[in-house]
Amino acid sequence: MKFREYIVYRLVLAVFVIIGVVTVVFFVSRVIPSDPAALWVGAHPTPEAIEKAREQLHLNDPVVKQFAYYLWSLLHGDLGISIRTHNPVAADLKSAFTATFELILAAEFIAIVIAIPLGVYSAVKKDSWVDNFGRVLAISGVSLPAFWFGIVLQLIFFKHLGILPLAGRVDTVVMLEHPLHVITGFYLLDSLLTGNIPVFVDALKHLILPALTLAMYPIGLITRQVRSMMIEVLNENYIRTAWAYGLPPKKIYFKYALKNAIAPALITVGLSFAYTLVGAFLVELIFNWPGLGRYAAYAILSMDYPAVLGVTIITATAYVFINLIVDLIQVKLDPRIRL
Amino acid sequence: MKKELALFMLVITVMGVVASGCLSGQESTSTSTASGETSTPEKTTNVVIYGYGSEMITLDPSTEFSNSIVVLANVYECLVKYTPNGLEPWLATSWESNENGTVWTFHLRKGVKFHTGNTMTAEDVKWSIERTLRMGLGPAFIWDPIDKMEVVDDYTIKFYLKYPANLPLIASSAYGAYIMDSKYLSTIGDDNAIADWLNQGQDAGTGPYIIVKDKYDPKTEIVLKKFDDYWGGWSGDQFDIAVIKIVPDASLREQMVTSGEIQITRDLPLDDLPKLQENPNVKVDQTASYQELYAFFNTKKEPLNNKLVRQALSYAVPYKDIVDYVLHGYGEVAKGPIPKGMLGYFEDLSTYTYDPDKAKQLLAQAGYPNGGFKLLLTYTQGDEAEAKVAEIIKAEWKKLGVDVEIRPMNWEQQWALAKSDPSNAQDILMMYWWPTYPTPYDFLFNMFHCEPEINFNLCYYCNDEFDKAIDEAVTLEGIDPDKAAQLYRKAEEILMEDAPAIFFYNPDDVYVYHKSITGFKDNPGYPQVVFFYDLHKA
Repeated sequence: MKFREYIVYRLVLAVFVIIGVVTVVFFVSRVIPSDPAALWVGAHPTPEAIEKAREQLHLNDPVVKQFAYYLWSLLHGDLGISIRTHNPVAADLKSAFTATFELILAAEFIAIVIAIPLGVYSAVKKDSWVDNFGRVLAISGVSLPAFWFGIVLQLIFFKHLGILPLAGRVDTVVMLEHPLHVITGFYLLDSLLTGNIPVFVDALKHLILPALTLAMYPIGLITRQVRSMMIEVLNENYIRTAWAYGLPPKKIYFKYALKNAIAPALITVGLSFAYTLVGAFLVELIFNWPGLGRYAAYAILSMDYPAVLGVTIITATAYVFINLIVDLIQVKLDPRIRL
Repeated sequence: MKKELALFMLVITVMGVVASGCLSGQESTSTSTASGETSTPEKTTNVVIYGYGSEMITLDPSTEFSNSIVVLANVYECLVKYTPNGLEPWLATSWESNENGTVWTFHLRKGVKFHTGNTMTAEDVKWSIERTLRMGLGPAFIWDPIDKMEVVDDYTIKFYLKYPANLPLIASSAYGAYIMDSKYLSTIGDDNAIADWLNQGQDAGTGPYIIVKDKYDPKTEIVLKKFDDYWGGWSGDQFDIAVIKIVPDASLREQMVTSGEIQITRDLPLDDLPKLQENPNVKVDQTASYQELYAFFNTKKEPLNNKLVRQALSYAVPYKDIVDYVLHGYGEVAKGPIPKGMLGYFEDLSTYTYDPDKAKQLLAQAGYPNGGFKLLLTYTQGDEAEAKVAEIIKAEWKKLGVDVEIRPMNWEQQWALAKSDPSNAQDILMMYWWPTYPTPYDFLFNMFHCEPEINFNLCYYCNDEFDKAIDEAVTLEGIDPDKAAQLYRKAEEILMEDAPAIFFYNPDDVYVYHKSITGFKDNPGYPQVVFFYDLHKA
């Protein structure tokens, strides 16, 4: 199979996966007994108001017909109206998605910057204190829950040291004094593009703690992966040859060894990306980050099924595409992999 | 290798940006230039922030029936303002009625400007109420008594009612009674077009604050700025900007208010309040609310169709212990169905008290000397207070030989179950009630009036004498409140005798605010609303 054909094949497959997810979630959400009409009209409604809502929401139609309605509007890019917020779900998701994505990107960036050098160093200096530290960090990163890290970080950096903000994406007063012209929805990028330095600094400060919390899991995962792959590669014959030729250690470790050790680590990075998307759900609640997680939590608690479906579609799509990209990069990196 | 890594990060970033673009459709994501007239607030730090637990829903004063009144009550105004000490002039300066309370005349305040610049007149009042009635959603039913409205002149409006009602009280409602600028809004289009316009974060009110449209994000924060032409005028130490910041996590709100990141908040964990009371940075404001917790007995199913059994179970509730244990003292034992502070509340109403011996005796009299039956009790999932109350009464009733199965359910679910066939519904349903506007009729009618089709009478109670008393009382509320109160009392006594429900407690409204502000006054008639205009810098 050619590379281009492979991409098309995978994209077609992805569409089926997403349709499958939508179908399952749609029908499951209808099986759970609940009354969306009652939620739509709010507290203390009259029976007439509920009946009116029922008609408006097509709830008197058979479920299959409702599903057809949903798919039809989905084809037109319409994710429906949230029963709780009465807003188009797509509009609700737009801002939430960029907030979450900014957080995840920051977390992955932190993870890569810390984990890859740490993994390499741990392998090179096996059983040294750095290796032991790396091991502790990795194990705790993988095994301890994210919310625990979040709270500990808040306690240290907000309560005791007072150098980083507690929660939110950007300080209200800073935002009022230096209004941000939103272009992409990524505050760091937008503030840089528009030269709004106060918002950039403030947004960065707000990003550090949640991103660090979210990065703990991938740090653990990637450190361990890089370390074990490096140890394996360092025992290979060609590395010994390189030593025998008297090449400088830096070149041997980073140019020859890491190049071969990194491919599996990259898969881990990709997979941890997908994991952080889910991990972000909890972290967002702790840090009041207005992202998908907070939105999903609200939607699930109030049985707002168009919103739940919307979040599911976005998450599933992101998952599928991240996996696809990881696979494609892997193919490019490792010629031994056959399409 | 570095190239590939960089490529990977780049692809992911581009994907994110593209996806966010796709989600937004054709619409530009630029918001700061979206509105012409709502300029960004000028450079200032004169800001007060209210940390609030839930997201805003709609901003349409005609249909909003949920927590967005937190915004609306600062942006719009009603004809009359409710206070626990009585009704006060708001957009109307005075009002009077004919003898039997069927024709009401309201005299409006002169020189009131809408945020659009138009002057408020009687036409606006007529139009606003007509729109609410026409849309017929949410709180529209409060205007049901109105037969027609007549604009006498620019500042006088007459209401002709189908039946006598306390119209000034209705006109003070926190839901559905806000006056909008008819001249401006009617140029926008039909009712739905107006609703869309409003829900984009725009308003047409007379209140002291204006919604800043380009900062309107109902999920994160709502920014309000001072309306310079407000009829009430401004003093120097009020706030130019008021922000409602959505922070769902209670412990986070607690940390934020103690550190001064937000200035006021509510719904903090009750266990933490004693600690906060000792914190020099914050003040704790505790006022009786108009909320009450009830448990409805299924009066259509054995054994609870027996009045004696219901009375027995009502005696076997440790009311005081519940308030101490569940509310940590932030609330009071209920005296019947009407909360303290409202018309129809009587301190000396004879209610049930904890008396296990009497409970045993009554149960024996009903033919269940050793209990021996099982009851299904449902409560709203996630409500810690309800869960604790359920546990306590389960333990108490076990002493009588009554076994209780506690089932937490999603509210819509438990409501649907209760509205289905009463013979298959739960035996006991727990629920809070709070009024649309503070009248006892809202409580007694909705929960205990005969109902051909079940909506909120979830004990399926029907008593003609009771119905007659409250139906008569409500017509007298506006013209002879004392007589109305006596009729309500009679109705409450009937309820006490028939015991269709347990009346647990009235929780307090507890606000915690930072020492940097003063002037906060809780108004139970406008639940959860902080009137920013009242606040001052300390």
